[in-house]
Amino acid sequence: MILPRFEYKKVQSIASAIALYKKHKGKVRYLAGGTDLVPLLKLRLATPAVVIDLKGIEELKTISRHGGWLAIGANVTLFDLKNDPAVKEYFPALYESLDATSCETLQMRGTIGGNILQDVRCLQYNKSMEWRTARGFCFKMGGKTCNVVPNAKTCFANYCSDNAPALITLSAKARLSGPGGERTIKLEKIFNGAGRRPFALEAGEILTRILIPLKKTKGAYEKLRVRDSMDYPLVGVAVSVADGKVRACVGGIGPEPRVYDLKSANDGAVNEAADKAYTDARPASNTVLSAAYRKKMVPVLLKRAVKKVMQGGK
Amino acid sequence: MKTMKVTLQVNNEKVDLQVRPYETLLETLRDRLDLTGAKEACGMGACGACTVVVNGVPLRSCLVLTPEVDGAEITTVEGLKKDKKLHPLQEAFMEKGAVQCGFCTSGMLMTAKALLDRNKKPTKKEIVRTISSNICRCTGYKKIIEAVEAAAKR
Repeated sequence: MILPRFEYKKVQSIASAIALYKKHKGKVRYLAGGTDLVPLLKLRLATPAVVIDLKGIEELKTISRHGGWLAIGANVTLFDLKNDPAVKEYFPALYESLDATSCETLQMRGTIGGNILQDVRCLQYNKSMEWRTARGFCFKMGGKTCNVVPNAKTCFANYCSDNAPALITLSAKARLSGPGGERTIKLEKIFNGAGRRPFALEAGEILTRILIPLKKTKGAYEKLRVRDSMDYPLVGVAVSVADGKVRACVGGIGPEPRVYDLKSANDGAVNEAADKAYTDARPASNTVLSAAYRKKMVPVLLKRAVKKVMQGGK
Repeated sequence: MKTMKVTLQVNNEKVDLQVRPYETLLETLRDRLDLTGAKEACGMGACGACTVVVNGVPLRSCLVLTPEVDGAEITTVEGLKKDKKLHPLQEAFMEKGAVQCGFCTSGMLMTAKALLDRNKKPTKKEIVRTISSNICRCTGYKKIIEAVEAAAKR
């Protein structure tokens, strides 16, 4: 498939990326691994005048420990992160979600920052320009309707990162740099719940680092998919236990992951959270599996993940 | 739109090219250098038929812009053989009959080459895991896995 026309610029620093963003008045897209962006460009779902390659920025490529935090540069590849000893030892939920992401070759290209900031997906959205023109534009393409749910007032596209739910259960924070300066926010705060524009980032902001409190956790990630390789999650549930506190996060249904803090890991508390997660899940028929089945699998995977953590002792 | 100058080291040969900024590595390899071993199938990074090895890492060349890999060392399936002698993987693929229609084969070979380069003695599980990055729609995976196992023993 042929790419649309754009200019390509490679930058060596965050400051020069932001300067370019301002110079081109926002008509740019930041490029990391490209495994999400390049298909969007090919489908004309992203139409920037300039693509700014962030891979030359050295400080985004490192994993470091300081002050009780693990700081992960946004351009660390999923494969390198998975093989980092700290991740395996401290954050099993993240290890499992990284391992479950796509396939090995794409893990070697895709970055953690890009994985978190991947656009939401829908069977009716991730299509060629010709296909979408014939069908008519939906909310997310700038139209006035949803092509999946009749008379819907909102977009039902799914957020398909495996790793963001795992990171949220680990109380991770996101460090952002933009034209307005630097800020650090809880990872779950980068979502705004709107499928049309799913991230609450300021214009031109770059995700530079993920910070995770460096303490031992137990955890697991359960993923529903058709094939064991390559597929996006149709439902993904991460669970982490730190200092006796159980946190679960459900992704793959709707435009943002949902967090559940459990009172304990006993059956009553787990069932209560599973019921709530079932009620909250509002899947639409926009993936390869039916909405009803995906909804039913939410509590199943949540209970399975908690059970795995408690019995596996990981 | 202006073209960009890039220098690539393709199969141990230095090439200077003027490319479009919106050109994929796959297009450069196939259309400018006539290296048609890497195939375009899905064009979206899902199938792996376009896999080439860039600086030791297997990459889907349909998802990579050529300017991104300026200065990189690239190996395609055409560069696998050495001194007219086939790579052990190519020999093993032939012996085990790991080729059906052949469309996925170059991608499979390059993914397997990158695996053997970083891990001389992969277990069967590791081979299966790595090969699952590529799709063979003839579904001839068993013989491909056997071939990679055989090549790892040489």
